[in-house]
Amino acid sequence: MENFGLLMEGFQVAITPTHLAIMVIGVMLGLVVGVLPGLGAPNGVSLLIPLTFTMDPVSAIILLASMYWGALFGGSTTSILFNIPGEPSSVATTFDGYPMAQKGQSTRALTLAFMSAGIGALVGVVVITLLSTWAAGFALRFGAPEYFSVYFLAFCAFIGMGSSAPLKTIISLLVGLALSTVGMDTITGTLRLTYGLNELMGGVSFLVVVIGLFGIGEILMTVQDGLHFRGVASRIDLRDVFRTIAELPRYWATLLRSSAIGVWMGITPGGPTAASFMSYGVARQWSRPGEPFGKGRPEGIVAPETADHSAGTCAMLPMLALGVPSSATAAVMMGGLMIWGLTPGPMLFATKPDFVWGLIASMYISNIVAVVLVMATVPLFAALLRIPFAVIGPVIVAICFVGAYTVSNATFDLWLVLLFGVIGYVFSKLSYPLAPLVLAMVLGHKAENSFHQSMILSDGSLDVFWSNPLVGSIMTLALLLVIVPQVVKLIGRLRSRGTLRSVH
Amino acid sequence: MVIKRIHMEVLVACLLALAGVAVAGGSLELGVGWTDSGPDAGYFPFYVGLLLAIAGFANAIWTVILHRGETEIFIDSEQARRLLSFLLPMTAFVIVTLLLGLYVGAALYLFYVAWRQGKYNPFWAAGLGIGFAISLFVVFDTLFKVPLLKGPLEAYLKIY
Repeated sequence: MENFGLLMEGFQVAITPTHLAIMVIGVMLGLVVGVLPGLGAPNGVSLLIPLTFTMDPVSAIILLASMYWGALFGGSTTSILFNIPGEPSSVATTFDGYPMAQKGQSTRALTLAFMSAGIGALVGVVVITLLSTWAAGFALRFGAPEYFSVYFLAFCAFIGMGSSAPLKTIISLLVGLALSTVGMDTITGTLRLTYGLNELMGGVSFLVVVIGLFGIGEILMTVQDGLHFRGVASRIDLRDVFRTIAELPRYWATLLRSSAIGVWMGITPGGPTAASFMSYGVARQWSRPGEPFGKGRPEGIVAPETADHSAGTCAMLPMLALGVPSSATAAVMMGGLMIWGLTPGPMLFATKPDFVWGLIASMYISNIVAVVLVMATVPLFAALLRIPFAVIGPVIVAICFVGAYTVSNATFDLWLVLLFGVIGYVFSKLSYPLAPLVLAMVLGHKAENSFHQSMILSDGSLDVFWSNPLVGSIMTLALLLVIVPQVVKLIGRLRSRGTLRSVH
Repeated sequence: MVIKRIHMEVLVACLLALAGVAVAGGSLELGVGWTDSGPDAGYFPFYVGLLLAIAGFANAIWTVILHRGETEIFIDSEQARRLLSFLLPMTAFVIVTLLLGLYVGAALYLFYVAWRQGKYNPFWAAGLGIGFAISLFVVFDTLFKVPLLKGPLEAYLKIY
């Protein structure tokens, strides 16, 4: 019950007029970002970080976290009303959400999505509340080799559990690691991989890379297919809302199952996108016979939304307790923490309890705020999408470049955004995953430092990673995570040969 | 102009492998061995680069072996045209921004795209661009005290 007391103190931090206002602003910004194609949660958070440099860290993290929740909700709105997923993690919501809205039940579809998303998020926060102290206490026993093994585990989990081809995930991770080594080396003080460019001396900021990859890259994807908004009616009928809420308990099994999937995928680096797809697949297999999926079946909305949000919230747990983010957005937030001078990880719980518990408490409140706000503003944001692309497209692009410039007031970063925009586009088209790249960039320094220290401890022998049961089991688990899925896949592939598109 | 996906896959995999070679090569100059105080500065990036080179080439070869002769399209001419009509003004925006500052760059960019591609009345489009630039100024320079890149126009108007 120690956590409960800490949570109550957290609520005292979170429930102040300023912080409540920050939550509302954060959620609204998140909704905008989630609704607009080309602006997603990782990118939106990156754009906002430079503006938080002068803020108090508690307020800053509440703002960023609220924006994340808002973005998750906003993504579902467009999935259902326009069949355009505002976020990659809400792709699975389009399968049944849009058909249901087409049948004239858009209020029902939206309510189902938002309510189950809210429930998923709350389950996620409860898990965080219960587990965080334990996880942080566990992590206090970690030395350098253990830390390296945890980073290694995170990388391996992406390779083994991600939805992309393992080789492409590995490449994406390595590109991120290589980018993180550019510039001044913090250990030896030498300049690395600048190739004579003075602009690279300070390194490549992950914020700039995220804005390019996720912002410009995603908008290029949108542009190439031409933009067709075929929206359905977006008026919210309050009676329908309550009728749908009353209908919700019927899906308790789907809710429970999807929350569990989401929690698992959120804590391990599966991420919300994988969680929502997996949950949709499981719901399709396990649900009682009835209407077919893909034609507006309620479980088809409840399942991905619940998993998406519980994964999104749970991704904060490993970030706070271990310093290992498990989604792209959490990675960006963790980068923000480091910029504000905080070190994510177990010590954060000991040194900054008000920060950690203020954030956790704010997650309860802002998710409820988000459910209410998103319901109230559906017509507004649906109207936002009716603005012609010739206006909204350049506005998004300009905001991305402005955001990248504010990171360090460097004009060179504008070119980097353009470059990474094109890279992001090509990577997305060839299904190279982007999240591992961001994770590797944020974790690169820490992974290298802990590797360095471990090597010094052991005088250059890799045996140090199997020197005690703790580090040994983490390393073994990491290797198993990579190997087992490949063996399973190999057996499957021996039976049938797929095409480029079907190999994931 | 149609680019097949298989060609793009191989090309990108090879480019990534070359990037790996460049990283490993750049690290070699820093020393990749072992010193009294632990691994050298180039140690970590060298192996990252090496692995990237191996993974890139492996991916290229793998793709050729498994998917040779597949005809899936990476981009067709219509998509390429749409993409270029978006990319070119964006690149111009960056160049103009470097010369004239972010405010003027953004205003001109919005004006051009809304006018030429959105088929708006030029006055309306100009209003849109200027309005956007002013709101950027209010949000960044005034509210958040984060100055954006300024150019000769701002110097002339004495806005810092």
